[in-house]
Amino acid sequence: MEGVFSNLMLGFSVALTPTVLAYAFAGCVIGTLVGMLPGLGPLAGISLLLPATFGLNPIIAIVLLAGVYYGAMYGGSTTSILMRIPGEAASVMTCVDGYAMTQRGRAGPALAIAAIGSFIAGTLSVIALMFLAPTLASFALRFGPPEYTALLVMGLLVLSYMSGGSMVKTLAMAVVGLLFGMIGIDAMSGYTRFSYGVIELSDGIGIVPVAVGLFGLSEILLTAGQATPPPVQKPTLRQLVPSREDLRLSVGPITRGSVIGFLIGIIPGSAHIISSFVSYGIERRISAHPERFGNGAIEGVAGPESANNAAATGAFVPMLALGIPTGPVTAVMLAAIMVHGISPGPMLIVEQPQLFWGFVASMYVGNVVLLILNLPMVGVFVNLLRIPYSYLYPAILCFCILGVYSVASSVVDVWIMLGMGGLGYLLRKFGYDLAPIALGLVIAPMLELSVRQSLAMSGGSFGIFVQRPIAVTMFVIAGVLILLALKPLIFKSKDWRAEVGLDEQG
Amino acid sequence: MSEPSAGGASRGLHSDRISGAVFVAIALLVAWENRAYPFGSLSTPGPGYMPLVLAFALGAFGLLVVLRGGASPLVNTIDWTEGRRAIVLLITCGIAAYALEHIGYRLTMVALLVFMLGVVERKRPLPTLLVALGFAFISYYVFATLLRVQLPRGPWGL
Repeated sequence: MEGVFSNLMLGFSVALTPTVLAYAFAGCVIGTLVGMLPGLGPLAGISLLLPATFGLNPIIAIVLLAGVYYGAMYGGSTTSILMRIPGEAASVMTCVDGYAMTQRGRAGPALAIAAIGSFIAGTLSVIALMFLAPTLASFALRFGPPEYTALLVMGLLVLSYMSGGSMVKTLAMAVVGLLFGMIGIDAMSGYTRFSYGVIELSDGIGIVPVAVGLFGLSEILLTAGQATPPPVQKPTLRQLVPSREDLRLSVGPITRGSVIGFLIGIIPGSAHIISSFVSYGIERRISAHPERFGNGAIEGVAGPESANNAAATGAFVPMLALGIPTGPVTAVMLAAIMVHGISPGPMLIVEQPQLFWGFVASMYVGNVVLLILNLPMVGVFVNLLRIPYSYLYPAILCFCILGVYSVASSVVDVWIMLGMGGLGYLLRKFGYDLAPIALGLVIAPMLELSVRQSLAMSGGSFGIFVQRPIAVTMFVIAGVLILLALKPLIFKSKDWRAEVGLDEQG
Repeated sequence: MSEPSAGGASRGLHSDRISGAVFVAIALLVAWENRAYPFGSLSTPGPGYMPLVLAFALGAFGLLVVLRGGASPLVNTIDWTEGRRAIVLLITCGIAAYALEHIGYRLTMVALLVFMLGVVERKRPLPTLLVALGFAFISYYVFATLLRVQLPRGPWGL
C-alpha cells in the first residue's frame, strides 16, 4: 500500500508539470469535441491525433491520447442528452432517458448528473486500476507462449460473446482481422507474405488506416447527406444544478455503474458500449418503477454514463499490465507507446515507472479537467453542434486523409483507409460488427508467434495447451462462453444481451 | 449502426447468405495464395501455417453464416439511399489520394473541399472557397509547421 502511494506521488510529480498538464487539458478539450461530433468517435479521434504525438515524449503522448479517449466519453453524453444524437456508440443508452429529460425541460440536471457520474466513475476506476494493474503484471510474468495463446483466444471469444449480434458473424470478423494481420514480413522466418510487390505492405497493415477507415470513414459514408440536425438547447449554469432528489436517485446507479463498467472494461470487446447497455438493463430491472425508464428517469442517465467512463479506464488494465489491447482504442494507444521504442507488457510498470504512474496520475487530473469542462462550459461546446453537417463531414474526411497520410508519409496507407472505409460501409449494411477486425489485426502477430512457439516447445503436440493450469483455465472459460452462446439456439431462450437491449445473437 | 430492415418479400437473396459466400470465397483465395509459403510441420510451423489455419476458420464461419442465413433480411430490403453519395465520396477521396504527392497537400485539400462543398453539397461559392482555403492552409500550418509532420508540397512550394 505504501509503495503504491509513493509511486502515485512520483506520478503526480510528472502529471502536474505544466507541460503534461497543458497536454492533458488539450487532450480533454479535443476529446470532448470529438465525442460530440457524430462520425468521429474516440477511436477515429485518437487515430487522427496519433501522428501528431510522434514528436512528443512518450508520457505526454499517452497522456494526450488518454485525454482524448475519456474526453470523448464525456462529450458523447452532451449530444445524446441535448439532441438525441449519440456522439459515440457508448452514449446510445444515454439518449433514451437523457433526451426525454431534455424534452421535459430538465436538460441541466441530466447533463450535471452525467458529468458527476462520469467523474466519480472515472476516479474510482483509476483507484482500482492503480491497485490491479501492478498485481496483474506480476502475475503475468508467469505467462509463457501457451498462456498468451489461451489469453488471446479467450479474448477473441469474449469479444464475440459480448458483442451484440451473431457470435458466428463476429468471429468471422475477428478472423478477417487476423488475416489482415498476416500481411507483411513473418517475424520467425523472414518471409514476406501477401504483399504482392508493394513495398509499403512489407511492414504489414497499420492499425491507424484500418481504424480510421472502418470507424471514421464508413460512418461518414453512411451519414453524409443527412438532414440538418435539430436546434440545440443551451442550459444556463443555474439550470445545471441537480435537485436533492436527483442526487439521491443517482447514488446507487453511479456506484453500480462504476463497478460494472470497470469489470466489463477489463475484458476484451467494445467494453464501454456494452457496459452502458448492461448498466441500463440492470437499473431498469432493479428499479421499483421500471415504467419511468424511457420517460426521463435520471437513473437511466447516471448508470450508463458512469459505466462507460469506468469501462474506458478498466480497458487500460490489460493494456498496461499485459501489453494486450482489449479493443481498437487501446490498440492504437499501444502503437503510440511502441513508436517511442517502449515495449508494452508486464515489465512496463517496473521499467517505465514514470510513464505508468504519470499516466495514472494524469487520469485523476483529466477527470477534474473534464468535470470543469463539462459543467460550466457546456454552453460553449454546444455551439459546435450548430455547424451544419454538410460543412462538417468534408472537413472530417480531409482530417482522415491528413491523419492517415501523416503516420508514415505513405499514400498506400490512404488507399488502405479508403478500402477499409468501403469495406466497413458494406459490412455495416450487412449487420456486421467492425471492432473485431481492428482487434484481430493488432493481436495477429502476437497470436501467431505464441501459437508457433507453443507448438515448437511441445514438439508439435496441442496437449501443451491443456497441461498448464493458467492456459487450461482460460480455455475452459472460452468453452463455457461457446456453450452459453449455443444455449439460446438450443433452448430457444433469450440470452442476457437481449435482456439488456443488445440484439439477440444468431 | 445501419441495420438492414427485416421483412419484405419472401423471395430473393438473403444478406447473410451473400456475405457468408463471400467469406468462403475469400477463404479459398487465401488458401490458394498461401501455397507460396512453406507450411512447415506441427513441431516447426512455417510462415504458411497460420494463414492456412485462419483461411480454414474463415471458410468454416462463412459456411455457418450461409447455413444460418435464412432468417437474415433480403438484400433488396436493405436501404441503399446514401449509396450513390458514398461511392462519389470514395472516388473523390481516391483521386485526392493520387493527387496528394503530385500537386501537394494544400492544393489537394483546396480542390477536394471545393468539389465536396461546391459540387456535392451545392454550397455557395464564397463560403466554399473560404472553408477550403482556411482548412487547407490552417491545417498545414498546425500539422506541418507546428507539429512538424511531413506533408507533401506541390508546384510553387504549395
